[in-house]
Amino acid sequence: MKATSKTTNHKQVINSTSYSAVMTSLGSQGSSSSSSTEYVVRVPKNTNKKYSIMAFNAGDKVSCSTWTQARMERDMSNRRIYGEEETQEGAAGSEFGKKQREEARRKKYGIITKEFKVEDQPWILKVNGKAGRRFKGIKKGGVTENASYYIFTQSADGAFEAFPVHAWYNFTPQAKHRTLTAEEAEEEWGRRNKVVNHFSIMLQRRLREQERGGGDEDEEEGEKGAKKKKKGGRGGDLRIHDLEEDLEMSSDESDGSNGDDDEAKAKAKKEKGAKGKGKKKKKKGSDLEGFEDSDDGDFEGLEVDYMSDESSSEEEEPEKTKPNKGEDVPKGIDEMSESEEESEEETKNEEENKEEEEEEDGKKTPVQVEKKKKKDSSGESDSSEDSDIEGEAASALFMVKKRTPPKRGGGRGSAGSSRTGSRPGTPSIDNAATSNTLRAAASKLEQGKRQTTVPSSETPAAKRLKMEPSPQSSSGKSTPQPASGKSTPSASDVLLTEDAVRRYLIRKPMTTKDLLKKFQTKRTGLSSEQTVNVLAQILKRLNPERKNINDKMHFYLTE
Amino acid sequence: MSEKGEVDLTGAKQNAGVWLVKVPKYLSQQWTKATGRGEVGKLRISKNQGKAEVSFTLNEELTTIETIGEKTSMVRAPREHPFTLQTVGGQTLAVFTENSSGQSDAEASGSGTGSGPDKIALEGVVVQRAECRPAVSESYMRLKKLQIEELSKPLRFSQQLDKAVTTNYKPVANHAYNLDYEKRKKEEGKRARADKQQVLDMLFSAFEKHQFYNIKDLVDITKQPVIYLKEILRDIGIYNVKGTHKNTWELKPEYRHYQSEEKSD
Repeated sequence: MKATSKTTNHKQVINSTSYSAVMTSLGSQGSSSSSSTEYVVRVPKNTNKKYSIMAFNAGDKVSCSTWTQARMERDMSNRRIYGEEETQEGAAGSEFGKKQREEARRKKYGIITKEFKVEDQPWILKVNGKAGRRFKGIKKGGVTENASYYIFTQSADGAFEAFPVHAWYNFTPQAKHRTLTAEEAEEEWGRRNKVVNHFSIMLQRRLREQERGGGDEDEEEGEKGAKKKKKGGRGGDLRIHDLEEDLEMSSDESDGSNGDDDEAKAKAKKEKGAKGKGKKKKKKGSDLEGFEDSDDGDFEGLEVDYMSDESSSEEEEPEKTKPNKGEDVPKGIDEMSESEEESEEETKNEEENKEEEEEEDGKKTPVQVEKKKKKDSSGESDSSEDSDIEGEAASALFMVKKRTPPKRGGGRGSAGSSRTGSRPGTPSIDNAATSNTLRAAASKLEQGKRQTTVPSSETPAAKRLKMEPSPQSSSGKSTPQPASGKSTPSASDVLLTEDAVRRYLIRKPMTTKDLLKKFQTKRTGLSSEQTVNVLAQILKRLNPERKNINDKMHFYLTE
Repeated sequence: MSEKGEVDLTGAKQNAGVWLVKVPKYLSQQWTKATGRGEVGKLRISKNQGKAEVSFTLNEELTTIETIGEKTSMVRAPREHPFTLQTVGGQTLAVFTENSSGQSDAEASGSGTGSGPDKIALEGVVVQRAECRPAVSESYMRLKKLQIEELSKPLRFSQQLDKAVTTNYKPVANHAYNLDYEKRKKEEGKRARADKQQVLDMLFSAFEKHQFYNIKDLVDITKQPVIYLKEILRDIGIYNVKGTHKNTWELKPEYRHYQSEEKSD
């Protein structure tokens, strides 16, 4: 009380000093320690202005002086509820005497419907235009019942004017960010133990909405995001544009399963950072279209080739679908994928990531834990990691690992974009087991490349990485693939030669898309057009046999 | 109406500080009785040893309270009212006004056709909150006592009557209403069957107005005996047993033509 009185004191002193001159010294009692001034109080009678109070909460930090412009109007959204709009009267659909009957019925049951009073409706206050804040002011009841509030303002002549307060409205700010609806909130609550990255929730929702707007994807995409999104999630929106552009760039390379850039884009968005796997994405789109939400049935028809380490198509599918069922997948996988995501982020840091990937190969759960720790330490949420890396680990184990999509990727726009551009063929690394590390290595390479290192450094790095994983994969993982398969790719990835292509085709039937993925532009140093041309020539020379697997034309050689 | 909703922010810009004062009901009632320019009293602000003291003195002529009942001039409102000052706290309280130009009652304009647009202006921000308390005095106590007595009376109360009420219902051979009813019935007589074509015309015109009709209502409209009417209706209409319009008759689809509100025969 003391403090307050001091402040009021201060104000009153100001008031007194400014107005005492005006005021006659009516009844100025003078004692040495006190001085008083008298003011006339008037209650104007003929004003047609109704005064109301606009109350803001302390925590909202509202300062009226910062408002440049404001608009306020009544919120009439309740009118239709209360208004009881009549269905058309007369002619079709109406009954004779319906109104009277309804009224009689209401009276009989004692139903009293409240009138819609405009006076009692809430206010909608918009400050500073479209980009500013919005407030909703709800009338507070019971204000004028027992006591009246008056507003005392000091008028020009020093007298006080008192105006009665007509109503009191409590204004609360309205959230401009999106919130979950009740159903969605319940869903997320059920998943709270599984989802580590909570920022992705809103992002997925946004993507889902975009999907529905586009009308072609199904919810899988949304679910897919679940695990993938990481902290960068929020930034994902911004990066989406980058991704889209990147995807379009890289889409040239792929044959485009769907041929829809939209799909790819949408998927890319989801994957935040869609690591340039334009092709992958498109493929995903097509693959995913038919999939349902549940985990189980998705992988039944997929080919799983344990022997080859380049079966990109098959592996891509399981990996892709995996993300979709974020929720349903057992916890272990979720953790795995999440940890993979984390590891992906860290891959940017390169060396450390390598270790992680190796760990992943080796063990499942402990890896996740470690990865998470590492993630914390690195603290870099730059996504756009290779989902492949993640996928690899999981796929090795379950063959259902989805490829953790680039997810948050969005984040660092630059990263995302560079990522997409730089790794059109990353999916190729999606091989089970051994490919995990390979992919990790590859993604890391790409990241490294993107970030700082010169493209040239990739090669040695790639080679290095590839060497390392191979022993690992053979040792730890239950991955079906032999380590030997691993070592070979290192060279072939670099050069687009007939030998390389032959090697691939002998090992396993591949589609042109797969082949293109194998020979990434970054690795081979050729542009996408060149790659396509050279590959076409090679294929002509080799003249491989064709087989239709999964409605796709695969090439293979037998020797 | 493009200006509707635009808030006049001059008050906020000036940062005009106002006081929010809570005033007792009786005092506000007295204030409404003020005459002339509306002067109701004097406000004295004094600084007494570092503490600010605010007090309001009610004008002499406003102290008389009109009360219902016997004690009129006995009770007078107290004159001295010290103010208790409080801080606004963290809350931001702004004052805005609605200038419902010319519209006396806001409710009247609530139907949506509001004549004049409401001009909303921000008058200022509350810098000080205060409560106006009456200085405790004899007259105040009496006033309060009166108030309490008024309020404690229940809204409904039982009262004993001296004489039993005998004016409402008297035993009567036949009530007036009944007599009228029977007379009317006699005059109308039994309903005669009119020409089928005429009845059909009447029905069609009725169905032009509404789609669904109760049989009783149709009887009323056409003044036909029920059986005859039902036969005709069976020809041209259908009887809704289920659905929203239960037990109602409506025309058959081929006879309906509601969009352009024509009836085809």
